[in-house]
Amino acid sequence: MKHIICTALLVLCSLLASAQWLEITDVSISSTTTEQGGPVYAISYVLQGDDLSVDHPAYVFIRYSVDKGNSWHLVDKDFITGEGIGIIERPGKKEMLLWGSGETGIENPEICVRGIQMARVPAGRFIMRSFPAGGKDPSKTERPDTNLPEFYMAINETTISMYADFLNETGKSGGGWNDRMSNEMRCGIIRTGDMGDYTYSVIEGRDNYPVSYVSWYDAIHFLQWCGLTLPTEAMFEKAFVGGLYLGGDATESTPNEMPERKFPWGNEDPGQGGIFRCNFTGEEDGYAGLAPVGTFSTFSSPYGINDLAGNVSEWTRDWYTTMYHIGLDGFRMVRGGSWLADSFACDAISGATQFPIKESSIMGFRCAKLK
Amino acid sequence: MKSLNRRQFIGSLGAVGAFHMLSKKSARAAEEKIRVGIMGLGGRGRFLTERFVQRNDVEITYLCDVDNKRYAYGREIVAEYQDKQPRVTQDFRDMLNDPEVDVVVNATPVHWHALGTIMACQAGKDVYVEKPLSVNPWEGLKMVEAARKYKRVVQVGCQTRSAPYVQKAVDYIRNGNLGDIHIASVYQIVDWKNNIHSTQVEPVPDGLDYEIWCGPAPKLPYRPGHWFRDQWDFNVGSIGGDIFHQVDLTRFLLNVDFPKTATSTGGVFYFSDGREIPDTISTHFEYDKLICKIEAAIWAANFKKIPTAVRDSDQFPDWEFTSTKIELYGTKGFLRLGRQGGGWQAFNEHGDIVAQEYGRQADNIHIANFLDCVRSRALPNADVEEGRRSDLLLHLSNLSARIGNKKLEYNSEGNNILNVKEANQYLRRQDRAPWKIPEQV
Repeated sequence: MKHIICTALLVLCSLLASAQWLEITDVSISSTTTEQGGPVYAISYVLQGDDLSVDHPAYVFIRYSVDKGNSWHLVDKDFITGEGIGIIERPGKKEMLLWGSGETGIENPEICVRGIQMARVPAGRFIMRSFPAGGKDPSKTERPDTNLPEFYMAINETTISMYADFLNETGKSGGGWNDRMSNEMRCGIIRTGDMGDYTYSVIEGRDNYPVSYVSWYDAIHFLQWCGLTLPTEAMFEKAFVGGLYLGGDATESTPNEMPERKFPWGNEDPGQGGIFRCNFTGEEDGYAGLAPVGTFSTFSSPYGINDLAGNVSEWTRDWYTTMYHIGLDGFRMVRGGSWLADSFACDAISGATQFPIKESSIMGFRCAKLK
Repeated sequence: MKSLNRRQFIGSLGAVGAFHMLSKKSARAAEEKIRVGIMGLGGRGRFLTERFVQRNDVEITYLCDVDNKRYAYGREIVAEYQDKQPRVTQDFRDMLNDPEVDVVVNATPVHWHALGTIMACQAGKDVYVEKPLSVNPWEGLKMVEAARKYKRVVQVGCQTRSAPYVQKAVDYIRNGNLGDIHIASVYQIVDWKNNIHSTQVEPVPDGLDYEIWCGPAPKLPYRPGHWFRDQWDFNVGSIGGDIFHQVDLTRFLLNVDFPKTATSTGGVFYFSDGREIPDTISTHFEYDKLICKIEAAIWAANFKKIPTAVRDSDQFPDWEFTSTKIELYGTKGFLRLGRQGGGWQAFNEHGDIVAQEYGRQADNIHIANFLDCVRSRALPNADVEEGRRSDLLLHLSNLSARIGNKKLEYNSEGNNILNVKEANQYLRRQDRAPWKIPEQV
């Protein structure tokens, strides 16, 4: 097949590692034409990160704009050939082709490539001690399946900086933001400009803190923007305590010595012995409010996932119905402790039911991906 | 100010009246903040916490829940509106002991409404207690006794009583616009088929003080979810817990109190999850030239409660399929009313709409009325005695069904059933020590 190299190099966006986006450099895109299928875009970038691995890969997604940045869209993985989108296990240069632009309308796109570091949670069984939906859903009388397929979960909670990037693409009319997010102690995203042309900035020093005051819907919209999802309660709890085999049931490698552990690191109380293992209520742990994500990474989960116990409680995908009160239908579950939770409430089974529209200083979320 | 420690208190539970010495307050000055303790941090408790803390004249000083993992979700609400964080406890007696609590908001499960309120009154606290009021008629009587003895303001959480649109309906009816009203129909026709209770016994979750949670009710094996809601010793049931609003409004609209008789037909027709309290019931209360009817089912397709958007706007609900409506049949007209902001419409004998009012939800007005009364010491809109009388109708409705759908003649003077002696055993529960409701409050 004959390819004609297009000389025009299109507008690109690469991201240095900051505020929990992985460092991605040298992004390029160039077009060629084909005899029958219209133009093809060759995309390349360099993914940095010496610590990327099979167990801690990157999740990379690409967003594009064909109207000079007025609107952005997620590149569909089905139109990509080559390594460079989705789960990426090794750093280095990535090259791929974006096919089908003649049909999809992706012509002369600007692109933006972003990556998030994930942890792999191998397939297999785990011991789920919490009740489904907090034991509050009368229609859920059975425990969820505790033999989960492989999935990935972000090593860190979604940060203020990441969320601000999302807002700057999608929030020109104000959606996804509320004025409490401008609280410099509990979140830190400022909105400026006029309706239809809002822009968002992060208060200095707050980039790396977990985003808060996000409703369940805000979280879902962010995740759809990335091509990811929320974890279920079962996924959250497995990530928290580990499977029966940390290497997965298929390999039966690395038996989990504490499959019913209370906390991600074991059974020691978060403040036991004057050692602070997560961000819970009070200032003793060094933080009266939120802490930057990963601050307590020494005490991560068996899969190396940070802050599952404290900092912000996290939205999950699970919900339960109650017809008992109007307007209360469709509660969503949040799991894990927070900066206002007592240390004992940062354990593996703690959680709460919340309205999906609730925006709270103690609630955030993290990304997950099914394999 | 003297206070008891917890051990001393448990030892003296047989005489919980000891608490009355703790606090004697007169009307509070307008500039003083009213200090509120929240008892119960479930969904309703958190809702009320947010409503109270938003007021400039309130400070939340205590949060209490038997599940100590709920504190963060209460703290978070408070932190949005006040700098000073409240104290927290699993044991509400700590809160009652605290002189920095003027008011207790009792948002516990129903089996704790009575004793929690009585002990709060004894401790000198005013009380905002959620509906329904009690598990049995005797509890309601003791709540009223405690409120009166200790001169406490006790408001029941039937907030629609405070809604201006309801007061207009009261005026409309009492001005004789409907003529003589001989029939009132109160509906609770909902589709809660998904609310199947889990009957599986589970270990008590970490962090839950199950001893206190059970309180005066039997300490049965733990079951997650709302299984206890439909057990006689714990509640008035899924129907009673919700229809309380309509029953109370009907009494308010018609200015009636104790019925001469109550006759039910009902039972557990749909569910098979071990519930004791009927899921289907029809009750006739007989008054002087008035029949007040309850029609209630919790499995009925098609019917829906009034949507929130309707409650807070100039709209009327789809009356035909509205779950929670009241219909009044008069010799000159007909009126239907929706609770919690549903509004009302009155029709003349030709079927024309001759009067109507859109509604709004009245939680904030109801809370404001309560706090006003805390300052003035006046009786609130939903004084505990009014709540007690509305609650009694639920008990009689259930009781008739419980003993085989028999007609009951209730004697309000003696709190007893005159014509069916076997029914009297259910007017009071055997409380579990040490959480007994005292004979002498």
